Amino acid sequence: MPISSRFVISSGIILLAIGFLTLLGIVGSTAWLSEKSSSYFDESNRSRSLRAAAVELRSALQSAESSQRGYLVGGNEIYLAPYDAAKAQALAQFDRLKQLLPASSQNLSMINRLSKIISEKISEMDRTISLKLDLQDSQVGAVFRSNRGKALMDEANLFLSSIIRQAEDQLETLLNDQRQNATLLRLATIIGGLVIVLVVGGATLTAFRYAREVSHARNELNVLNLSLEDRVTKRTAQLAEARDRAELLVAEVNHRVANSLSLVASLVRLQSNLITDRASKEALEETEARILAVASVHKRLYSGGDARFVDLQEYLSSVLDNVEASMRGQGHVASLRYELEPLKLKTDSSINLGVIVTEWVTNAFKYAYPDKPGEVRVRLRRLSDGIAELAVEDDGIGRAEGPAKGTGLGSRIVSAMARSIGGNVEYVAAGKGTVARLAFSASLEG
Amino acid sequence: MTGWFFILAGLAALQGVERAAAQEGPAGLTKPVILPQFEPAKPRCNAPPDLGKILAFAQDNDRKFMQGVASGLQLAAKDRGMEFRLARASNDPARMIEQIKGFLTEKVGALVAAPVDAASVAPFLQQVIWSGAYVGTVVPPPAVTVLNAPQYLTGKVLGDEAAAYIKSRLNGKAKVVLLTHDSLQFLAPRFTAMRDSLKSTPGAIIVADISPLTVDEAGGAEMMRTILVANPDVDVVLGADTVVLGALAALREADKARATQFLGGIDGEPAAVDEIKRGGPYKASVSLASPIFGYAMGQHAADWLEGKSIPQAMDILPKALKIENVAQYEADTADPASVYQDGARREEYLRMYGNICYDTREQYLNFPWSSERR
Repeated sequence: MPISSRFVISSGIILLAIGFLTLLGIVGSTAWLSEKSSSYFDESNRSRSLRAAAVELRSALQSAESSQRGYLVGGNEIYLAPYDAAKAQALAQFDRLKQLLPASSQNLSMINRLSKIISEKISEMDRTISLKLDLQDSQVGAVFRSNRGKALMDEANLFLSSIIRQAEDQLETLLNDQRQNATLLRLATIIGGLVIVLVVGGATLTAFRYAREVSHARNELNVLNLSLEDRVTKRTAQLAEARDRAELLVAEVNHRVANSLSLVASLVRLQSNLITDRASKEALEETEARILAVASVHKRLYSGGDARFVDLQEYLSSVLDNVEASMRGQGHVASLRYELEPLKLKTDSSINLGVIVTEWVTNAFKYAYPDKPGEVRVRLRRLSDGIAELAVEDDGIGRAEGPAKGTGLGSRIVSAMARSIGGNVEYVAAGKGTVARLAFSASLEG
Repeated sequence: MTGWFFILAGLAALQGVERAAAQEGPAGLTKPVILPQFEPAKPRCNAPPDLGKILAFAQDNDRKFMQGVASGLQLAAKDRGMEFRLARASNDPARMIEQIKGFLTEKVGALVAAPVDAASVAPFLQQVIWSGAYVGTVVPPPAVTVLNAPQYLTGKVLGDEAAAYIKSRLNGKAKVVLLTHDSLQFLAPRFTAMRDSLKSTPGAIIVADISPLTVDEAGGAEMMRTILVANPDVDVVLGADTVVLGALAALREADKARATQFLGGIDGEPAAVDEIKRGGPYKASVSLASPIFGYAMGQHAADWLEGKSIPQAMDILPKALKIENVAQYEADTADPASVYQDGARREEYLRMYGNICYDTREQYLNFPWSSERR
C-alpha cells in the first residue's frame, strides 16, 4: 500500500511519542528501583546486625561455658577472667538482640524464654564456679551430672538458631527482591531499548519507504510522460497522415466532381448548341451556368486547402467571370462589376450562394438589359451581428410586377437555396433598376 | 522400647567380655572381625551330646517387642519339635542370672537371652556356650549367634522416607525437627543417617536438632512445645516413636498438626502404628520385626542341635511401616514361619553373617559386633 505524506507525519508523531514514553518509563522505573534498593539496604543492615547479635550471643555463651568447664575441671582460676568477659558480652549482646528483633508475638515469646534460659544458664555457671571456689567438688559434680547446663545450652541454641535463621531468611528475601528488581530493571531497560530501536527502525523504515515510493512515483511519472509524448507524437503523425490522406481524397473527389460537372455542363452546352428553339436553348444555357457554378465550388475545393470552407471572394469571382463570359457568349452586352469582401463560408452554403448569384446575374444580363448595354453590380459585404449580404444591382428596366419572366425556375431555385442556408431574399426597386439582396448568416458554424 | 534395649545391651557388652575372660573354656572371638556372608551349604558338624531338646528364652521384661521375640521362638520350637521355656526377669539382672543357671543345670539345648544387664549375665551365657548349647542374644555378646540392629541403616530408612516425602509432597522444602537421644551415644548413628538422608534435599532445613530432657512421650511433648516457640511452623519431625508421639501431642495441643506433615519414628510402637493407620501426620515408623528374628533364632537353635552350621550374627533389617504396607507387615509378623521359608521375603527382614556349629563353637562372638563396623 502506498504511503501518504500524512501517514508519514502521523506515524512519525506516534513513534516519537512511543519513544518518549518508553524513555520516561525507563527513567521512572530506574528511580523507583533505586528508591527500593535504598530501602532494602537499610533492612539488610538491620537483619545483618540482628544476625550478628545472635551469633555473638551464642559465641559468648559458649565461651562462658567452656571457661566454666575449664575452671571446674582443673580449678585453674585463669579461666575466670574470660568467663566474666564472656558473660558480660553475652548479656550485652542479649540486650542488643532484644532491640533489634522485630516486634511480634512469636519474637516476644522467644525473648522471654531466651531471657529465662540465659538467666538460668548464667546462674548455673555462677553456682558451679562458686561451689568450686568453696571446694565443694561433689556438689559441683552433682550439678554437672544433672545435664541441666547442656539442656539449657541446647535450648538457647534452639532459639538463637531460630533468630539467626529468621535474619538469614530476611536477608535472603531481601537479596532475592533486589535480584528480582535488578532483573526487572534490566528487563525494563532491554525492553525499552528494544522499543526505542523499533521506534527508530519504524521511523527510518517509514521514511525510507516514503522516499522510495516518491522516487518510484517520480520515475513512473517520467516514464508515463515519455510514453505519452511518444504516443502523442505518433498519434499526431497518424492524424496528420490521416488528414493528408483525407484532404487528398477530398481534393480528388472534388476534382472528379468538378470535372464531372464540367463534363455535364459541356454536354448541356453541346445539347444547347444543337437546339434551335430559343426557350429550350436558354433553359439549357441556364442549366449549364448553374452546373458551372456548382462545379466552380468543387474546383475551388480541390485546389484550396480546406474543403470545409470556401473563400467567397475567390469563388464568387470565378463564378461571376464564368457567368459574364457565358452571357457575352450568348450575345448579351451588359458589363459586370463586382465588389467582394473577403469572407469564408461553409461549402454547402457557398454552393447555394454561387447558384443564387448565378441566377441573379444571369437574370440581370438577360432581363435588365435585354438589348442595350448596362452594368450589373455584385456586392458582397459583411454587415453587423454576423450577417452578410449578397446584392446584385442593375440599372436596367426594373423588375415589373406580375408573373416572372422566363420559366420562373430561377426564382424557385433562389428561394429554395436561400431557405436552405437560412437566408432572407428581397428584391428592391432602385431607381430604374433592381436590387436583389440576400441576407445570410456569415457564421462558420451550423 | 526397642531403642533403649539395644542401647543398654550394647553398653554392657564390653564389661561382660572382661568378666568372661576369667572363666574356664574358650573366650571366643574377643577382637572385632568382619564376618563374611552366611553360607547355608557349609558342611555339617557333630550334634551336641547330652542336651535336651529344649529352647529357653531369658526375657528381660514383658515389652511388646520382647513379646514378639518370644512368640517367634515359641512358634519355631513348635515347628521343630522342641520344648519351649520362657523365663521373664522383669528387668532384674540377678533374677535373670538365676534363671540362666537353672537352664544350665537343666541342660537345655538352646538359650536365647535378652540380657537385663549384659555385663553380669555374660559369664553365665559363656557357661551355657561351653556346655555345647546354642546361645543366641538379642544384641550383646557373648553368643554363638548375635542379633544386631544396624543403627545407621535404621536411621537411614527413616531419613530416606522423610526425604522422599519432602521431595514428592512438600515441593522439596521442609522445616525439620530431629529429636535425638544425646544421652545414648549408641544411637548416634541413627541421627547421623537421618542428617545424611536430608542432605539429599537441600530445601529441607533442620530447624531443631535437640534431645528431649526425658526420652518418653512427656519429654517429646515438652521439647516440641519449646521448639514451637522458636519455630511455629514445622513440617517434619523425626526421632524415636515415643518422643515423636509426644511431639504429635504437642502439635495437636498448639493446633499445629496437619495431615501434610511427616512425623516418623523408630521402634514400631503400637501407638505409632495406630497413628499411621489413621492416616494423619504420622506417616512412618521404622520397625524391627521381633517375631521374625525370634522365629529365625529358634530355627537356628534347632539346626544347631542337629549339627548344622548356622550364622554367627544376624541383622534384623529395619522396615519402614507406612499406611501402604502396615497390613502386610502385620501379616508377616503374625506368620513368621512363612516369611522364614520364603527366601526372598526372609531377606527383606534378615541378613546373616559368618558360619558356626557345635564343632567350631569356640569361634563364638565375644565382642559387640555390628555389621556397620568398618
